Amino acid sequence: MLLNSSLYLTEDRRFMKLLRWPVGIVFLAIPGLVQPAASQAPSLETAEDIIDYVDHILRGNSSKGTITMDIVTENWSRSLTMEVWSLGKEYSLVRVTAPKSEAGTATLKVGQQVWNYLPRADRTIKIPPSLMMGSWMGSHFTNDDLVKESQLIEDYHIEISFDGERDGEPVWEFTLTPRPEAPVVWGQIVEQVRRRDVMPTWAKYYDEDGVLSRTLIFSEFKTMGGRLVPSVMTITPEDKPTESTMIIYSDIVFDVGLDEDFFSLRNLKQQR
Amino acid sequence: MRAMVWWRIGWRNLWRSRKRTAITAGALALGFLSATIMVGLSQGIVAQMIENGTELVTGQLQVHHVNYQPERSLYSTIGGRDGTDVEALIDLVAARPGVEAATPRVYGGGLVSSGWETNAGILMGVDLEREPQVSRMLDGLTAGRLPEPGLREVLLGSEMARKLKVEPGAELVLVAGAADGSLGNDRYTLSGVFHTGMTALDAGYAILSIETLQDLLVLDRNRIHEVAASMTAPWDAPDAAAALQMTVSRQVPDIEVEDWVSFRPDLAEYAQLAGSANWIIVMVVFVMAIFGVANTMLMATFERRHEFALIRALGSARSGIIQTVLYEGIVLGVVSLIAGAVITIPVMVWWSVSPPSLAALVGDFTMAGSLVQANLRVVLTWQTPVMSAIALFLTAILASLYPAIRSARVPPADALAGAE
Repeated sequence: MLLNSSLYLTEDRRFMKLLRWPVGIVFLAIPGLVQPAASQAPSLETAEDIIDYVDHILRGNSSKGTITMDIVTENWSRSLTMEVWSLGKEYSLVRVTAPKSEAGTATLKVGQQVWNYLPRADRTIKIPPSLMMGSWMGSHFTNDDLVKESQLIEDYHIEISFDGERDGEPVWEFTLTPRPEAPVVWGQIVEQVRRRDVMPTWAKYYDEDGVLSRTLIFSEFKTMGGRLVPSVMTITPEDKPTESTMIIYSDIVFDVGLDEDFFSLRNLKQQR
Repeated sequence: MRAMVWWRIGWRNLWRSRKRTAITAGALALGFLSATIMVGLSQGIVAQMIENGTELVTGQLQVHHVNYQPERSLYSTIGGRDGTDVEALIDLVAARPGVEAATPRVYGGGLVSSGWETNAGILMGVDLEREPQVSRMLDGLTAGRLPEPGLREVLLGSEMARKLKVEPGAELVLVAGAADGSLGNDRYTLSGVFHTGMTALDAGYAILSIETLQDLLVLDRNRIHEVAASMTAPWDAPDAAAALQMTVSRQVPDIEVEDWVSFRPDLAEYAQLAGSANWIIVMVVFVMAIFGVANTMLMATFERRHEFALIRALGSARSGIIQTVLYEGIVLGVVSLIAGAVITIPVMVWWSVSPPSLAALVGDFTMAGSLVQANLRVVLTWQTPVMSAIALFLTAILASLYPAIRSARVPPADALAGAE
């Protein structure tokens, strides 16, 4: 009749926000974790070239690393240690190794599909597309970060919005605006890359109304696996400034000779 | 004394044409009957919507932590992080006059998975003993049985069970972010399937015993998100909520007691709208009656033109004639009202006791987020008959006003001389 019949649907949507759900291997999707030696740097002429370069440097052809993820929220703090494997843009596998209570929990991404292995239930679950905006392992990263990150060049129009010095450091700042038909959640991404070693320093994510939603900061640039990488990434949601997720790489090696068969459901489940 | 005379004159005049009077009074009585039934029906639909909208899940009163709505955060449990004495809180709420029963609830958002099919769902932990006294959610079991407390068992909505392709006995995996930040996950057995007719519930809810869900979400036993309560009379809920807010606040900090009028404002607004529409129903019925009665009265007075002319010629004032006719109308009103009451009371009592079911014709359906049972129910209140009675009297008086004035204007000489 004259009434609003969507009450329960609204409630459902609110609940969706609560879902803390292991889906994405987010950090693999974040541009520029690893940087090849300066001598190997390709020619970087356009904004697309630079972002694409920053985007690819982490992965190499394949990689294997160990990370610690420290999550701080209003309600709890926790630290997870994980092993991470990747092959190109399409394949990645993450397995929790500590704390013991969660060891074995694993996430497999193949293309746009994501599976989780839950050791306690001893079951593998395929994540439905509707949960892509859910949080990954209770962190401030979402699954969508994982799947969409490898497509920055395809989904966004990229231009250099600033080219000059910030605090005495020559940098580029790029503004990424979604292409009209791109299925993305952000209204705009602004990313700063320093010129001297083509290392990303921060990225700011804006929602569709142009409001800053979260900030990602890269720090502790170190040579690991023969490459310069930002070994620490910290993400802070704008609406909860006391909360953050910090990812710390303790080691990473590149070109480890993985092939597609490694990224199988059987391997997802395998305890090592 | 003089008034009695007018009543007697009215009464006598009324019965000079018995058949005509009986028909007119019958029409008015039927108008009374139909106005009462239509308003009763409309109130019945509203009452049913309120009951269905609140009895199905929400209850008519809810107690939460002040921060719980609208985010429904897992951490905003009643009493904050330390929780509260759940039994004492339930007793306190249930002790409030007008409150029928109260029950604790825990909610979580999570995934329900059966093999390769996975669905997002709302996990609802209920006290299986108390819940049926507050909501009808557990009544609609279509297969299996209720979860057994202590066993890891789940009840699913029919649509969710269909999507997951599971039947009672099947194994399910539930996954939900827990209060300590970990990822709660475990295997459960599907004990049964419920059907409410409301898609959002049937497709989105998984029900567990409150302890089982607390274990999955790593919440202590004293941490709950909601106390829902049912009222004997839904319209008493706002007062009860205000009173409980005072008493419960003294025991538990940072709580909020809401009534259905505030968490289902759509229902409350609809009830008000329907209430004002009732006046229109009554008006329409009796405005139609006015013309019928006026027509009869005009005929009755026209026949008596000579008589009125004679009375006038004998020296009666015009107001006397007006009064004569008006009293005839008033007496007609009284007679009609008695006749109306005689036919209305049994019909309404029968109807309200055993409302005819239309379920065979239309089945149950949802409207405005409320499950509506296809019963044609009427609500008996004292207001409706009084309202209809006033309208009936006004009709009788207004309908005789014009004939009365016309009769008073009859020119005595012409009428007596036989001029038509």
